[in-house]
Amino acid sequence: MGDVLAQGFAQAAAPSSLLATAIGSVLGIVIGMIPGMTISTGIIIVLPLTFVLDPSISIALLLGLYVGGMLGGSFAAIMLNIPGTPSAAATALDGHPMVVRGEAGRALGIAVLASFCGGLFSALCLFLIAPRLADIALGFRAPDLFSLVLLGLTVICSFAAKSWIKGLLSAAIGLAIVSIGQDPVMGTARFTFGSPDLLSGINFLTALIGLFAIPQLIGNLGQTGSGAIVSVAPATFGRVFPTLADLRRMRLPVGIGSIVGTFLGILPGAGGPIAAFLSYDYARKTTKNAPEAFGEGAVEGIAAPESANNAVTGGALVPMMTLGIPGDPVTAILVGALLVHGLAPGPLLFIERADFAYGVIFSFFWANIFNLIIALAGLRVLVKLIAMPRTILMPAIAILCVVGAYSLRNSVFDIYVMFFFGLLGLGMRWLEMPVVPLLLALVLGRQLEEHLRVALTGSQGDISVFFTSPFSVLFLSLAAVSIVWSVVSSQRSAGGAR
Amino acid sequence: MLLAFSGVYGVLTVGLPERSLPNTPGPAFFPWLITGGLIVLSMALLVQSLRGLGDTERLAPLLISRRGWMALGAFVAYLPLVPVLGFLTASVPFFATLTLLYGQRNRLLVVVTAVVVPVLVFVVFRYGFQMLLPRGLWL
Repeated sequence: MGDVLAQGFAQAAAPSSLLATAIGSVLGIVIGMIPGMTISTGIIIVLPLTFVLDPSISIALLLGLYVGGMLGGSFAAIMLNIPGTPSAAATALDGHPMVVRGEAGRALGIAVLASFCGGLFSALCLFLIAPRLADIALGFRAPDLFSLVLLGLTVICSFAAKSWIKGLLSAAIGLAIVSIGQDPVMGTARFTFGSPDLLSGINFLTALIGLFAIPQLIGNLGQTGSGAIVSVAPATFGRVFPTLADLRRMRLPVGIGSIVGTFLGILPGAGGPIAAFLSYDYARKTTKNAPEAFGEGAVEGIAAPESANNAVTGGALVPMMTLGIPGDPVTAILVGALLVHGLAPGPLLFIERADFAYGVIFSFFWANIFNLIIALAGLRVLVKLIAMPRTILMPAIAILCVVGAYSLRNSVFDIYVMFFFGLLGLGMRWLEMPVVPLLLALVLGRQLEEHLRVALTGSQGDISVFFTSPFSVLFLSLAAVSIVWSVVSSQRSAGGAR
Repeated sequence: MLLAFSGVYGVLTVGLPERSLPNTPGPAFFPWLITGGLIVLSMALLVQSLRGLGDTERLAPLLISRRGWMALGAFVAYLPLVPVLGFLTASVPFFATLTLLYGQRNRLLVVVTAVVVPVLVFVVFRYGFQMLLPRGLWL
């Protein structure tokens, strides 16, 4: 155990990994704070690089970007009142009023410090929980694994969709797409139409580039004016590092945000926005006699959601690392980036490549530390980059999409596949159908089929095998609860709308 | 539309090989489950929209601006040119087109970035990371 920890630490602390983490952090902050850019888009930009870099360096780069992107989203929310990421929406409620008061530096400083605390807390939880959960998951058999993957799919469907039917349909379309190519048990060619390009199936990273980047590139064209976003020049920036009085006021909301964010991050599909708003609400209820009212620039109103949305990152890595179940698009991309290097996230990763698994956890620690240092040291410069012109950035992303799709298998066919998924993403946006369940189905579909067929083959077609294992029953019950919950909330919101 | 997709998928599933061992699921098993799911969910969506319970009867307009359609057209023209002309040659006019569509009015900047960015990407990936990008039919 000690050896493995030391190897993991050495992997994360290698100069190349540290440099990658720092670059990822800077890129993440910059991309996250540009309105209209998501962390997923940022990851797509660096994705081609990760195919050629060593896996430990790739994952360090991606983790830096993930953590940095969360903070960057809050910079835009605070400075412009436009959340760079959905998770940062709650931060804008008190962050922007503080900027309007002429305390931009104070608002950003509180956000940076709260993010760091939330991220660090979730990293600690990841370090403590992940190996134990992986140990438990090692005992799972095919029926348990099938039920677990099904749970992952149903949870994301219920959270991702305004309409639960559309969410499930999106996942079903994803499963239909994933059935293209050789089947995972017998290797029989399915839906390939005689094309050798389709024999190995649709690579989900190619699909992901199209699904996320093309609709964003096209959608942003409806919003452009002069090309630059907005000028950001606060009248006074003020001091950045929070005062002792601010630090004292931050303690409780940061504690609340860290716990809520980590817990909700572990639940697939719950995600940053829910965690941020819940923490904001809890902080409001527990804060007494604040000098500023919530919504008018309260320290607590920035600290709680900001710590929560960064704590979500570490929480989301727990099911991804231990069970191979990604809870959001970013962790889905991380799964894909690891699979490209032949490293399958899941309990076996902690057995076969424990050094690498711990290296990922330590890289996550470093990502949070670099985020703090880079954000505090370069705050005044970084904030100016909010006004970076899209006229260059967007076309650059467009050609990087082509590079990313092509370089996965050196295949021109994949470029067309990427564009097809771009059109599919636009169509789904028009039909108001969420793309996240489709993406998750692409990631989990093959596992779902494989475990289902292996379980049924082992039981000679007897489906009671799914109802005799305690783990399987637990996961199926949770899946049923999540579906019922989504149906009820969907009907409630439909009733409310009428 | 979704029902039609389900139907086509179901028809294609019929053509898949049968199971090879008794009482075990074959390669067509999972696609049949997906076909069933697609049909049931599409029907549910249809019923929901007919009963006016959901919001499907009021589809949002396809929010693609005129420039968005032009960008899609640029993609359609660009992608087949990548293997023929090579990444670098095809990317320069594509980049310039997108830069103009995104509202850049400085022509010099359009030309400079349209050349510099694709060249930079090509050099970094080709020589920095030894990644072979399409070089065109004549190279």
